[in-house]
Amino acid sequence: MQAKYSDIERLEQLIRRLAPLFGPSGAEDQVRAAVIDLVKPLAHEVTVDALGSVIALRRGTGGAGAKKVMIAAHMDEIGIMVTHIDDDGFLRFAPVGGVGPATLLGQQVVFEDGTVGSIGIEKVDGPKDIQMDKLFIDIGATSRAEAEKAVRIGSSATYLRDVARSGRRLIGKAMDDRAGCAVAVETLHQLKADPSPHDVYFVFTVQEEVGLRGARTAAYAIEPDVAIAVDVTATGDTPKGERLNMKLGGGAAIKVKDASLIAHGGVRELLVQCAADEGIPYQMEVLPYGGTDAGAVHLTRSGVPSGVVSIPTRYLHTPAEMVDLGDAAAAADLLTAVLRRDLTLTAGA
Amino acid sequence: MKKEREHETGAGPAPAAERGAAEGGPGREAPEERLLRLLAELSETPAPSGHEQKLARRVAAELEACADTVRTDALGNVIARRSGSGTDTPPKLMIAAHMDEIGLIVTKVEDDGFLRFAPIGGIDPRTLAAQEVTVLTEPPLPGFIGVKPPHLLPEDERDKTVPIEDMFIDTGLSPDEARRRVRPGDVAVIRRAFTRLLGTRAAGKALDNRAGVAAMLEAMNLLSGLRHAADVYAVATVQEEVGLRGAMVSAYGIVPDAAIAVDVGFGAAPGLPEDDVIKMGRGPAIALGANVHPQLHELLVETARLHGIPHQIEPMPAGSGTDAWAVQVVRSGVPTAVVSIPLRYMHSSVEVVDIEDVRNTARLLAHAAAALREEDVKGWTYDLA
Repeated sequence: MQAKYSDIERLEQLIRRLAPLFGPSGAEDQVRAAVIDLVKPLAHEVTVDALGSVIALRRGTGGAGAKKVMIAAHMDEIGIMVTHIDDDGFLRFAPVGGVGPATLLGQQVVFEDGTVGSIGIEKVDGPKDIQMDKLFIDIGATSRAEAEKAVRIGSSATYLRDVARSGRRLIGKAMDDRAGCAVAVETLHQLKADPSPHDVYFVFTVQEEVGLRGARTAAYAIEPDVAIAVDVTATGDTPKGERLNMKLGGGAAIKVKDASLIAHGGVRELLVQCAADEGIPYQMEVLPYGGTDAGAVHLTRSGVPSGVVSIPTRYLHTPAEMVDLGDAAAAADLLTAVLRRDLTLTAGA
Repeated sequence: MKKEREHETGAGPAPAAERGAAEGGPGREAPEERLLRLLAELSETPAPSGHEQKLARRVAAELEACADTVRTDALGNVIARRSGSGTDTPPKLMIAAHMDEIGLIVTKVEDDGFLRFAPIGGIDPRTLAAQEVTVLTEPPLPGFIGVKPPHLLPEDERDKTVPIEDMFIDTGLSPDEARRRVRPGDVAVIRRAFTRLLGTRAAGKALDNRAGVAAMLEAMNLLSGLRHAADVYAVATVQEEVGLRGAMVSAYGIVPDAAIAVDVGFGAAPGLPEDDVIKMGRGPAIALGANVHPQLHELLVETARLHGIPHQIEPMPAGSGTDAWAVQVVRSGVPTAVVSIPLRYMHSSVEVVDIEDVRNTARLLAHAAAALREEDVKGWTYDLA
């Protein structure tokens, strides 16, 4: 496994550092702290906006055709939130983003302060009865008072899970989208070493999983000329899986469409051309559902030409999301290469 | 609304001005004929959401003839402006007609060369089986949506619609050739020739919303024979069928004082509840409801009455599902209205419209635009008292 530009070992370490962090939508503090720590030495300016997104500006060398580019990767992950604490100290909860009951059952979850719990279920008749309202969190408390010492109504939790490596693949929770955050940080490393003509705003967004919210406000403030989101996408390469073109190990995915966005034809073809010219492995992505930050960014103000570079990921929104390190490296390579290019767009298709 | 509006509509009586602009003098073809030709061309030009470029060029060319400026924005909306006269601070009226259509997008080229696809916008799977399609590659590829022979259908599948993810396009190409010529992400539309029916009716694909685009183009054409105070922006929007996206960003850029979306409405047909439909051949439907500013509605109704334009009122209690829904909440809010052309069999390739409805929609839009005055939009604030 080799990459054209990326340092694969560093990329792996970035994913290993970011993915296990606690960061359900609206509670991204731990991820934000780590991201700021990572980008400070690489960016010219690092700011945090009103909603909590981290904006790291890497200024370009300028010149004719230099653009203002926004790269977006979301820091938040799906999770659950406590809605009720009963007399015996059991916690009921609601989903934060796209969490399913079947996936939750049997998991360990962790709160921001490190409190760990098991997901339990009421007595049910069969798998069909595994519904959200039958599940609860057991943090070992024996009374409401004891539970309330550790958590309160509104506390969020996420899966307790470290990153594992198997061959070329990394497995863990929140690859969606810490893998994307890692790719963005790696790209920032590359641009520091060999700069881009463009002013590049690397935005590590909040609240993507609950409606692309951080990206929306960040894009409003930045007013980019072009935007590219880095996120994960589903694959069709598992037994009796979905009929999708994307597969693990097939390279960076260049998005054409999902439910939130039809990629700007000019941005899309720039990415395809760049990948082809540079020999960076890539595959085309059409996802009949789902969305990314680019969905919000392209509708900002008078519109922003936007595209997406995706990292194919199996078992999305489970604690066992699997990515191929080579694909992540290809995504970082593609971003690095495209950001060093002339970003003058031909009109969309 | 006041009668004085009549003075705003130009030097002579309105119908004469209309004839001058639309018919171009004696011996020229009737406006219905010209509109039918335009509509045929618009209908047959493929433009699934996000891939409107070719149609955008055609629409822009049409607008060049009757607008002061024509431009496109970051998402590909075509924005034409006719400047108003007689005031230093003209109100800005936006007319929005979406030019995109629903379509198909290739998700995967199978090993055996068949193309899997997903819908772009609200495709009804019942309308897809056994259709001819054009895959918009360069050059375009003909194809067909394959179906299982009924003889081999298991009992339990006979009464069921095939889910879109189980359908496929057969291009007739070998697997190697299919992979060479088609890339996942290539788009396709149903192939259907525009057909003139008897009388003033016509059928075709994408009349949602090419009928609206034709009406808007004709309205701009008519406006060139009318005096108008407002700066009139005709916007052929993109990506309406996937979430009113083009309208949203174009309105942000224009900052209109008022906006009218022209789109299609459900034309009466057998089996449809009377309460949910508008009537074919009875003129544009002027909507009333949450998406409609009451005074802009009044302006439209009064204009129709004044000029003897057949029209109908359409109750629209909540969302209109048109560009007006997005435009209404752009920036700090825009007074909006919805004008609908009756259309049968929406989101199929045999949509039917009455060209008289299209023409009357154009007349309504043109005269309403000509009637809009600076005082109007200033007065359209809600009273605190």
